[in-house]
Amino acid sequence: MQPSAAAPDSRTAAGRPHAGKWREIWKHRAVYAAISPFYLLFAVFGVFPILFSLYLSFQKWDGIGEMKFNGLNNFHYMLTERLFWKSVGNTFLIWIYSTIPMLIFALVIAFLLNSAFVRFRGAYRIAYFLPNVTSIVAVAIIFSTLFANKYGLLNFVLTSFGLSPVQWLNNAFGIHLAIASMVIWRWTGYNAIIYLAGLQSIPTHLYEAARIDGASTAQIFFRITIPLLRPVILFTVITSTIGGMQLFTEPQVLVGNDGGVGNNGMTIVLYLYREAFVRNYFGYASAVGWGMFVIIVLFSAVNWMLTKEKENVSTGR
Amino acid sequence: MKRSALITALALIVVLSGCGLWQRPPSSGDKKITLTLWYWNRSIDDELLKQVDQQFPNIHLNYQKIGGDFKAKLMTTLAARSGGPDIVGLNDWVSALFPDKTRFVNLYDLGAKEVQSKYLEWKWKQGVTPDGTMIAFPMDTGPTALFYREDLFRQAGLPTDPAEVNKQLRTWDAYFEAGKKLKQALGGKVSMTDNVKDLYGQVLAQGKDLYFTPDGQFIGERSEQVQKAWAAAAKAYKDGVVANVDRWTPEWNAAMNKGDIASFVGAVWMKKVLKDAAPDTSGKWRVARAPGGDGNNGGSFLAIMKTSQHPKEAFEVIKWLQSESNQLRAFQDLDLFPSAPGAFSDPKMNSEEPFFGGQKTGAIFAESAKNVQVAYFGEKFTLVDGIMKQEMDKVAKQNKSPDAAWQDAMKQIQRELKR
Repeated sequence: MQPSAAAPDSRTAAGRPHAGKWREIWKHRAVYAAISPFYLLFAVFGVFPILFSLYLSFQKWDGIGEMKFNGLNNFHYMLTERLFWKSVGNTFLIWIYSTIPMLIFALVIAFLLNSAFVRFRGAYRIAYFLPNVTSIVAVAIIFSTLFANKYGLLNFVLTSFGLSPVQWLNNAFGIHLAIASMVIWRWTGYNAIIYLAGLQSIPTHLYEAARIDGASTAQIFFRITIPLLRPVILFTVITSTIGGMQLFTEPQVLVGNDGGVGNNGMTIVLYLYREAFVRNYFGYASAVGWGMFVIIVLFSAVNWMLTKEKENVSTGR
Repeated sequence: MKRSALITALALIVVLSGCGLWQRPPSSGDKKITLTLWYWNRSIDDELLKQVDQQFPNIHLNYQKIGGDFKAKLMTTLAARSGGPDIVGLNDWVSALFPDKTRFVNLYDLGAKEVQSKYLEWKWKQGVTPDGTMIAFPMDTGPTALFYREDLFRQAGLPTDPAEVNKQLRTWDAYFEAGKKLKQALGGKVSMTDNVKDLYGQVLAQGKDLYFTPDGQFIGERSEQVQKAWAAAAKAYKDGVVANVDRWTPEWNAAMNKGDIASFVGAVWMKKVLKDAAPDTSGKWRVARAPGGDGNNGGSFLAIMKTSQHPKEAFEVIKWLQSESNQLRAFQDLDLFPSAPGAFSDPKMNSEEPFFGGQKTGAIFAESAKNVQVAYFGEKFTLVDGIMKQEMDKVAKQNKSPDAAWQDAMKQIQRELKR
């Protein structure tokens, strides 16, 4: 908004420097009224909950009774709670197991889809995107039957090859792997589509020049495609970071509110959910929410730095 | 143009912000009063709810089936302090609401004492706070029994007749011994029972001193029943009689349907769960009184919110809904097991069930229901119980030593109770 020039008849509002502005706003009241719904909705459903949760994080509240001021106790409990840190660790491990393969697969798929020799490209695009619009709950149920200890498909395959079955969902690594594979299945196509859009913005004369110079496909991929895709890769890394830190539905459906055996599937958001809506520690859960906020900000910053930094490194090896 | 835009925007503002501002005042003009009731699917018989308006000419009952997480939605409403119903269903977590007893009408003030003798004592007391405020009225119950595969028991040389099963497998130890025998006889393919978590819970449900005294003291570390349950679950794992299959999973359904699990202790409502899970085993199951004694799992209640304008009428509706004959109807329609023992002797409670090979299982559960101990749960029961079960889970699935698991559980519980 530009500060309006003081109207000549602002004598009446002497001593109120903003009177001119208010009058200007009043003059354009219809316009302001027209854009107000978004701001109102955002105030009610965005700003207010955020501020209220900050207030709540210093209170002790079971959701029904009176709120009691709790000082920094919620934060202290959080930082000294083994399970909180365990959930942070789980979230990071699952993030690593899922994001790295996912982005590599997505890049390869996008590169193949973008190359000239693939036919039925549209059909492939739809096929790769389909997992993303499938209900997560349905996906989690299917995956739970894949990884099931006794009658799971994976163990069926293993035993039919004469190997001994693996108790996937009884140990940390198995649970992490199962959740990560769900994430990979669901998001690879989505990221591939984004990469594809990025690839199509790369000018074709670069490729043509490389071909004329006799570059191999691999060389073209590593010397031209990857460097020019950097901004898009940065984007997917950041969105995957935020998404990965907020992982909830997959573990909840796969291993339940307590995160399965030994809480190995407990992610930060699942922990927050359990503390708030299963155990009714609303004040504490708000504190966990803010703890999560800090973690996501820090981790996103680190990722951003890492991905940014590479830009300064020359691509020649 | 400008004006209409303004009006539109204003209208939007009113719609968005005004939801709770103008509530219809209770209509005093017509004689009919409206009562609102919240319940979840299968907790109350819909047919009965439809009849309320005919039964009470001066009342219109507006019953709303709340889907999703009922407890979370109720808590949110309680937190908002307005917009709640008159009558509300509460599940077996009723004791979690004891600290907030002032939000509910004390049913003793409305004359609940007069009908108290018609209901099972242990069930009735679950709705009464330690200081004698009655916040919740009994609905259904979940008496437990042993569900077992008659054919597998026969192949293993175990007793098959329900009375005989109960006689020979009266204790948990005897049950585990039988489990070892069964496993050997059937080539190690069949486990006696499903998992340690539910076994622990079932043993606990048979006792009366659980985790807390009525004055809120934690006694879990020295409660005999808790120790008994812990030891039994640990022994079941050591003896190799559990399949390590959790309930409410596709795994469990498959195990039951394939006949890889020969028995389990569960509440009466597990009948339906089992029928849905294992249709191929129809006719092979039987029910006997459980090893270790009778217990209860689950069962719900009805409460009247303090905000209700018509608590008296609401209480009349509750009494009618949960009368002996109506509980019987709910049992026939939805398998909701009555909390009024007067209904037990009715022939309708004892029909032959093809899934259980023609056995009349009603009598077994009725007997079980009469013997449940009066137990005090306390507001933090679910929390503490959850921690215990998670640790016991590690014993069975990660081979943690039962003693270390017990220590860790106690440490975590003490920490949780101090927060």
